[in-house]
Amino acid sequence: MPPADISPATVIALLIEQQIVDPSDPLTPESDLFACGMDSLAMMQLLLHLERDFAVRISPEEMTRERFATAAALAAWLSTRKRTSA
Amino acid sequence: MDTLDIIVAGGGSAGIAAALASARQGARTLLLDRQSNLGGMGTNALVHTFCGLFHPDVARGVQWLNPGIPTEIGQEMLRRTGQSAPDLMGRVYVLRQHPTLFALLADELFRAEPQLTRLSGAEWTGLERHPQGWKIEVMAQGVRRELHSRALIDTTGDATGARLLDPALCEQTEGARLYRPAYVCAFQQLAGPQDESWRLGLGAMIFRAIRDGLLPAAAMGAGFRESPFSGEAFLTIDLEAGQAHWDPFDPAKRAEVEAEGRHAALALWQFLRQEHPSFHACPPPMLPTQAGIRESARYRGDYMITGEDLAASRQFADNAALAGWPMEKRENARGPKFRYFDNPEPAGIPGRCLKNSAVPGLFFAGRCLSADHEALASLRVMGTCMATGQAAGKLAVDFVAGR
Repeated sequence: MPPADISPATVIALLIEQQIVDPSDPLTPESDLFACGMDSLAMMQLLLHLERDFAVRISPEEMTRERFATAAALAAWLSTRKRTSA
Repeated sequence: MDTLDIIVAGGGSAGIAAALASARQGARTLLLDRQSNLGGMGTNALVHTFCGLFHPDVARGVQWLNPGIPTEIGQEMLRRTGQSAPDLMGRVYVLRQHPTLFALLADELFRAEPQLTRLSGAEWTGLERHPQGWKIEVMAQGVRRELHSRALIDTTGDATGARLLDPALCEQTEGARLYRPAYVCAFQQLAGPQDESWRLGLGAMIFRAIRDGLLPAAAMGAGFRESPFSGEAFLTIDLEAGQAHWDPFDPAKRAEVEAEGRHAALALWQFLRQEHPSFHACPPPMLPTQAGIRESARYRGDYMITGEDLAASRQFADNAALAGWPMEKRENARGPKFRYFDNPEPAGIPGRCLKNSAVPGLFFAGRCLSADHEALASLRVMGTCMATGQAAGKLAVDFVAGR
């Protein structure tokens, strides 16, 4: 069975539940996460949850600002990542 | 025995402002401090940002929030660090300060006041009320001394006066929820720019190393921020400090926390020097005199300001200072949780938070003012401590003058 894709909604739920970011307005798939308070400390917490929840291992080289800029970008990248490592 | 007008206990941001405000109004003032650098957390713990100096509505641009000493120190720090403006970080303005320059600036401001004297290395060991004022006992360089004053301002951050006089005058949040201590050290001879992508890349590298067992778990609370001077950055590590077991008044736990901070800082230095090009030429980081303490004990004053008051930007008839920094809660080492004011308007801090009618002539300001745990998350920052310190200095002068 191929691994299920990760939706932006799943990523948003994680960001809110784990209080990774601190948005003034509700998060959308296209919200700029860095504008919502994502800094290096928050990103480290996010990486921790991503590795635990989605069973991926993220190398420092993969951690680009673009991939983590929005929930949509992050979900798309994680989905690709899961497919290629499955 | 010579009786002073006002004794200020504690030489941090609040104490500096209280002593200057008092001496500038002509009161014979003495400041005692256990450290040798004035500046408190801003020098001895290398806390390198002045928060709380600006109006919370960033749409208005940079507006200094509290006139007088907070603005004077902030503007002078801007000038001496060669910055043109504070940094806009998300929804707030922050002024990067340099601990060395803060200590020197405080020295200069003190030297300019003939009415102001200062004792360094003085541990406050006793307090008694007398009809004419206060008897304060200090231990300095192994010698016990008695000091007398008509009014007293406690800017120790720890409500030391309350704990010496009557512990019922203060309160303390339980260990599990106390805002965590932070260990800050200075890295020098860094190569290349230290911008946001540099910080993110560094975070990703540190994260991987922790997960792979190459760095201690405490490094998860580590973040770098650039100094106003090139080639230098400050590393801040928020420490769990045993979470529920944390007690800032237990010297054995303080020793553990200091050692935990040093260990994490040195492990990061060794790792980054090997692995990250910016750090290849870095000497070992400069360590702080002590870990940064965000919360210990607070006074119970005539009024205890709450998080709700701040969120509603409430104003009081006896406003003594203004708060503009969001409630920056750090109950764990996993990063701050911000609670912003409902509207970007400053909140008032009433003079009743700086005194208790049951103990006339005793004032308090800075981190140990009368506030609940939630409100303290905003009021503890250095810019606001300067503002409440200044206000307490003025209240003490009024008290001595019989006003």
